[in-house]
Amino acid sequence: MHELWELLRQAVPLITHGNPYLMSVIWFTVQVAVVATAAATVIGLPLGLAIGLGRFRGRRGLQILANASLGLPPVLVGLFLFFVFAGQGPLGGLHLPVTRRAIFVAQTILGLPYVVALTAAAVQALPSGLPAQARALGAGRLQLAILAVREARIGVLAAIIAALGTSLSEVGAVVIVGGNVYGYDQTLASAALYEANAARYADAVAIGIVLTGLILVLMGGVGVLQQQQGGIRLRFRSAT
Amino acid sequence: MGYLWSELRQAIPLIAHGDQYILDVLWVTIRVAVVSTAGALVIGLPIGLALGLGRFRGRRTLQILANASMGLPPVIVGVAVLVLLLPQGVFGSLRIEFTLTAVYVVQTILALPYIVALVPAAIQGLPPGLLAQARMLGAGRLQLAALALREAKIGVIAAVIAALGASLSEVGAVVIVGGNIQGSDQTLASAVLQQVNDYADYPYAVAIGIVLLALILLLAAVLTVIQQRSSGINLRFRAAEPLDNRAAAQA
Repeated sequence: MHELWELLRQAVPLITHGNPYLMSVIWFTVQVAVVATAAATVIGLPLGLAIGLGRFRGRRGLQILANASLGLPPVLVGLFLFFVFAGQGPLGGLHLPVTRRAIFVAQTILGLPYVVALTAAAVQALPSGLPAQARALGAGRLQLAILAVREARIGVLAAIIAALGTSLSEVGAVVIVGGNVYGYDQTLASAALYEANAARYADAVAIGIVLTGLILVLMGGVGVLQQQQGGIRLRFRSAT
Repeated sequence: MGYLWSELRQAIPLIAHGDQYILDVLWVTIRVAVVSTAGALVIGLPIGLALGLGRFRGRRTLQILANASMGLPPVIVGVAVLVLLLPQGVFGSLRIEFTLTAVYVVQTILALPYIVALVPAAIQGLPPGLLAQARMLGAGRLQLAALALREAKIGVIAAVIAALGASLSEVGAVVIVGGNIQGSDQTLASAVLQQVNDYADYPYAVAIGIVLLALILLLAAVLTVIQQRSSGINLRFRAAEPLDNRAAAQA
């Protein structure tokens, strides 16, 4: 137990004194999480709403696909992207491999299924009369979508937080696509991997503490959201 | 796309001819998935049942804790377990760091939250009258647990699928605790990582990736078939013994 304390005693100053390497990794991780989740939301929210509200052919198929891709190992997603981005690959012209941009793209793609699948599920969980009534009152597509997002906002926020959570904790795809280059395109999770493999345990523990802190903040957000869960409020304006 | 094709063309024969390295890694992966899921079931099922059926103080808090621990990054779990297993650590005398045993341990810990969190959720989704009725008919704890498991079978199997899936696709903790040692404690997922990053051997990486994907699809398909074979609630539970005795006495 004594040595464990020793490790913590070495790790804590790295955080409190703002070790430059650690700070740069934290900053990059936050950037990746925010940008990738924002991009996944911009792309995924309309898709999720279309799947949840739409009445088109193949809707079920798309939903199964979105749900299934939640279970896809990130390592495989990373491997696929690696070939797509590779010099000779279809998107080779973008020169993405082993750059920071590749990490942003990979994490966006990994966050996408969470936003699409969980948004669709949240919207479908609304009382079935609600969209029907809005439609009957003459709501257009956009109005219907806005209404659904507002009423299912807790589920939608939970979807976005889930996407944020993966982009913070994921390592497989980040390491394959970005190469886990020290001090360049490492996130906290991949840096912890790197430091542990390099037997720099104090650094690994410090990174682990910071990552745990970030995840706890996210989980606190989920907890607050769940507390606020109330009944549906029918505050939508009638269509003009 | 020609590039990916050429990798695939080299990868397929590796799988078709049963490359020894891939077969070894596949075997390790299956062992890790089965051992860790079984370990998680042995430890987690009683806890999950207690959370789902129990009426004790702090049940809600424990359930929130279990839900939250599903979202814990495996990398953090890996670092924590490694620190404990290091020679100077609390369990250092076991000397299992960077071995397959350590991978079993960490994957069991990672699979545990899925069982502990998803089993109570499945039980709580049962019609509320069912368990109350069983209690009223005099079912003991064990009978109640057996009933709940049988009726919530779909959710319980979903929890097993989630635990298996996590242990198949996880890399962070496996690499940290096991050291990603070829032929010893490497799983398919961590082998892909090594083939790409350390050896730049892309046909091998693609071949291993295909095997991993096939394994996940196969397991999910088999378990889904088992899950769906009997759905809906069937009230097949026997009346508890004491009630029978009383009825006999009255007659």
